[in-house]
Amino acid sequence: MTSDEALMLEFQGGSRAAFEELFARYRKPLYGFFGRRLNNPERAEDLVQETFLAVIRAASRYEPRALVRTYLYGIALKLLAADRRKFLTNSTLGQSAPEPKTDRTPECVLWVRQAMEKLDSPDREILMLREYEQLSYSDIAELLRIPVNTVRSRLFRSRLALKGYLESQAKSNPALRASAGQPHPGRRGMQ
Amino acid sequence: MSTNRHPIEQEELMAYLDGELPPDQATEALSHLELCPECQTLAADFRGISQELMAWEVDSPEVGIPSEINVALRERLQTREAAKVGLARLGNRVMTSRWIWAGALAIVCVAVGLKLTLTSRNRNEDRSTAYPRMASIEKYLMPDRNAEIAVARSAAPEAISADAEILVFGWRGYETAIEGKNGFVCMVERSWMSPFNSAEFWNPKVRVPLCFNPAAARSILPLTIKRTEMVLAGLSKAQMIDSIKAGFDNGELPTPEPGAMCYMMSRAGYLNDAVGHYVPHLMFYFPPIDKSSWGADLPDSPVTLNPQFQGGPEPITEFVIPVGKWSDGTAAPVM
Repeated sequence: MTSDEALMLEFQGGSRAAFEELFARYRKPLYGFFGRRLNNPERAEDLVQETFLAVIRAASRYEPRALVRTYLYGIALKLLAADRRKFLTNSTLGQSAPEPKTDRTPECVLWVRQAMEKLDSPDREILMLREYEQLSYSDIAELLRIPVNTVRSRLFRSRLALKGYLESQAKSNPALRASAGQPHPGRRGMQ
Repeated sequence: MSTNRHPIEQEELMAYLDGELPPDQATEALSHLELCPECQTLAADFRGISQELMAWEVDSPEVGIPSEINVALRERLQTREAAKVGLARLGNRVMTSRWIWAGALAIVCVAVGLKLTLTSRNRNEDRSTAYPRMASIEKYLMPDRNAEIAVARSAAPEAISADAEILVFGWRGYETAIEGKNGFVCMVERSWMSPFNSAEFWNPKVRVPLCFNPAAARSILPLTIKRTEMVLAGLSKAQMIDSIKAGFDNGELPTPEPGAMCYMMSRAGYLNDAVGHYVPHLMFYFPPIDKSSWGADLPDSPVTLNPQFQGGPEPITEFVIPVGKWSDGTAAPVM
């Protein structure tokens, strides 16, 4: 399998096929990135598109100093921050749009989301970058411009907080805990 | 948790589970984890949290490349093509020795830049061994392509390797130097096929000649290719481990086919600093099985469990059986 970095260099050299392969590899992960942070499918789809447009526009400036994966999530984080600023400007300050519970949202997902919302915003971002985007500590440190040790300590704090929250919820609703704890074949978190 | 009772902190244990500890600390963490019920519980809790977080999946609509991206892509590629044509015309008019030297200088600068980039990416791998990080790529290359072909072939008796496909390692990874006829593939592996926690993972002196039989060429060789691509892409060990696990999860990497094995009978190999070129042997690959099923490592048993994939991300069990002769038919030392 050709590496992402080799594909990026091929795209830089004029290969459309290389871009299409990168698009195929990263469209879903990027959609997941935005989807979990915005809870708005349309905005998520728009921002995925914006990310790839940014890649096309900046292709000539790409240098293989960073992994393509880190590069893409770096763009995604910037777009997300800009989108949030725009969203706050266009809506009542301090009020985020509540995500309605739909019949299609499983209880265990709502539970995980509620647990994540309990975390401080910077800690939550680090946890999500590690768990969902599966970035290394050093990649996260580079993207967020913080020391690697800070990434590690915040990640540890987040996981302990999450553990405490999930355990307290499990005591009050054992059935929910059992539902959330089902294994998910094909997905992997920690080793 | 008291540090008096636990040689590693909880935070370090978490980093170990994330694949973020250097090999020496990882070994220490693993040794402690095997014996400490308290840390085993914490590790299980951390793993449980990760698993529960995975419940939050985001279904992405299946769409092709949107029209806006297609338009931007077309414009970018057309602009680039036009620039290339313009440059070519300019080049035809003014190609002087000055341009040639400038071009050569640019190539050298790019090569040096790439080398520095690839080297610096692995700077944090492990500071505790003689080979703490990846050396520059050329240190892993064999300067003479024909010499590498000969070393690759020496992995198996000539009756096998003469008709085998031969792969050689270059700046872009492994490439076919000679097409084969019998389904065997001979090559010289580099140090990154060692266990991830090996102190010699980046040892540039390592040269491991081997000849995969057809079943191993289909089901084990892809792993060598995958690791090599990731190394050249500058991935960290943690990222490589993640990617390999994902590769097996999603079927990109195959499990060992029945009958998968390889010959390692070269006297020209250098497996690592500890054993040098070792002894001639054969290796047999299986999906994870208990070593007792082969009587491996029992007293006087000639079968040994190879640690190459033990504890690693690859679901592979590998047995080694020494043989009495090198590939050229000469007698080998007794183990």
